[in-house]
Amino acid sequence: MNLDLQFMAETFIDVLHGIPVTFQIVIVTLLVSAPLGFLMTVTKLGDGRIGRRAAAAYVSFVRGTPVVLQILFLYSLLPTLLNYLIKEVCGLSYNIFTVNPILYAYVVFILNTTAVLSEVFRSALLTVNKGQMEAALSIGMNRFQAYVRIIIPQALTAALPNICNTTVNLLKSTSLAFMMTVKDVTAIAKIDASFGYNYLEAYLVIFFIYILLCSLVQGVFHLTERAAAAYKKPASVRNARRVFS
Amino acid sequence: MLKVENIKKSFGDNQVLQGVDIEVNKGDIVVILGPSGSGKTTLLRCLNFLEKADQGTMTFDDINTRLHGASKQVIAKVRKKTAFVFQNYNLFQNKTALQNVMEGLVIARKVPKAEAKERAKKALDKVGLADRYDYYPSQLSGGQQQRVGIARAIAVNPDVLIFDEPTSALDPELIGEVLAVMKKLANEGATMIIVTHEMTFAQEVASKVVFMDGGVIVEQGSAKQIFTAPKEERTAQFLRRVLKDYDYVI
Ligand SMILES: Nc1ncnc2c1ncn2[C@@H]1O[C@H](COP(=O)(O)OP(=O)(O)OP(=O)(O)O)[C@@H](O)[C@H]1O
Ligand SMILES: [Mg+2]
Repeated sequence: MNLDLQFMAETFIDVLHGIPVTFQIVIVTLLVSAPLGFLMTVTKLGDGRIGRRAAAAYVSFVRGTPVVLQILFLYSLLPTLLNYLIKEVCGLSYNIFTVNPILYAYVVFILNTTAVLSEVFRSALLTVNKGQMEAALSIGMNRFQAYVRIIIPQALTAALPNICNTTVNLLKSTSLAFMMTVKDVTAIAKIDASFGYNYLEAYLVIFFIYILLCSLVQGVFHLTERAAAAYKKPASVRNARRVFS
Repeated sequence: MLKVENIKKSFGDNQVLQGVDIEVNKGDIVVILGPSGSGKTTLLRCLNFLEKADQGTMTFDDINTRLHGASKQVIAKVRKKTAFVFQNYNLFQNKTALQNVMEGLVIARKVPKAEAKERAKKALDKVGLADRYDYYPSQLSGGQQQRVGIARAIAVNPDVLIFDEPTSALDPELIGEVLAVMKKLANEGATMIIVTHEMTFAQEVASKVVFMDGGVIVEQGSAKQIFTAPKEERTAQFLRRVLKDYDYVI
């Protein structure tokens, strides 16, 4: 088996142009999903029964169906549906089929990531014992202040490893965006490969690229975790044991 | 100064407080004794609205309110006049000792930061932690953590300090340092309500001892009267049992 190294080198350069698109999907998705996911967490932990049920149903639906299927479904449904709405309901002449397909990618990944993050945030909030909330109230802080200053910072620290996982998973699943004709890393590799049927080489190249990108994300999170968890690091035992005399 | 009447509180079918009255005057050290499950913690929590009583009224200086359905403003006012020291310290884990103490000043009372820092340092100095300002709770011993808890409470200059078994989560050798701080506060004229199982300490500092059992106050009086000549058989029984079980710390 001979690998076409020349082709691999060219593909590598080509594929680098897809990285901004890949990261764009990841970052936009996270920026939108984080607040939405947090809202959903609040709904889940709240008193409203209907809200709780709806949130639970949403999460189990999104997490219980394959992303590929969601993409196929949304990508056949959304454009047609939007086209119908624009043409028939609003009477406008905008051609929905020319819209940047990355928007559909956003929709799919935001739907998924919101569900995942809502679970991540929920379990993280529950790791902060409620005594600290009571202590905050007892010295005159209100609930909002206690959440912002005491509870959420600790919950976020606890959630960082899971947020890292979520981000890495998201990064990997952006490779499905080619199904919606988004020109991300995977799509570019496939296009390059299709001319000379060098699929194997192209896939090897993007394997490497994805490993690199994922390691990068994990590295960034690792540093963040270390900085955020400074308050958990016990001083030397001797210090901690020295008692007031 | 503080007078609460006819507090009732149930958890489901379990009537934990069945009409409790309590009165605290300026400078009083009220010690509440009672067996486990008698409702002591619940009573303290109701005073601070951490728990919502089902019934009862409160008069606290110029505040007059029902305990049930008190408005947010009234609750906030009461909380600013009281401070709570918890059995499990409940320190803010993401804040240093100094930040723990400053939080109530800067955030809740809008004290300017520089002034808050001075007051917080003073409070920490008072509890003997002048060399621990920048330590996180995870870097402090239990006794030190509880003293930060006390500093956090006294820094906001509350009219009443509420202690719920402040030493019962501590190793025996660390209890003394916390009780010493509390004694110091008592001698300086602080007004305190204390639930404790430290009988020797109770006898020494209490200006009034309240004995609770089964959600009611069985008897109350001076430390001397309760400890040496209890009127009620239940009180006597309880004291015989705990004085036998508990080690003397001070
Ligand atoms: N949040 C709650 N939900 C249900 N029941 C509760 C709750 N808090 C307390 N109780 C019940 O109320 C009763 C009194 O509890 P409380 O904690 O006030 O007793 P205590 O006198 O402080 O006891 P201890 O000395 O063990 O601390 C107990 O039977 C307890 O099970
Ligand atoms: Mg208790």
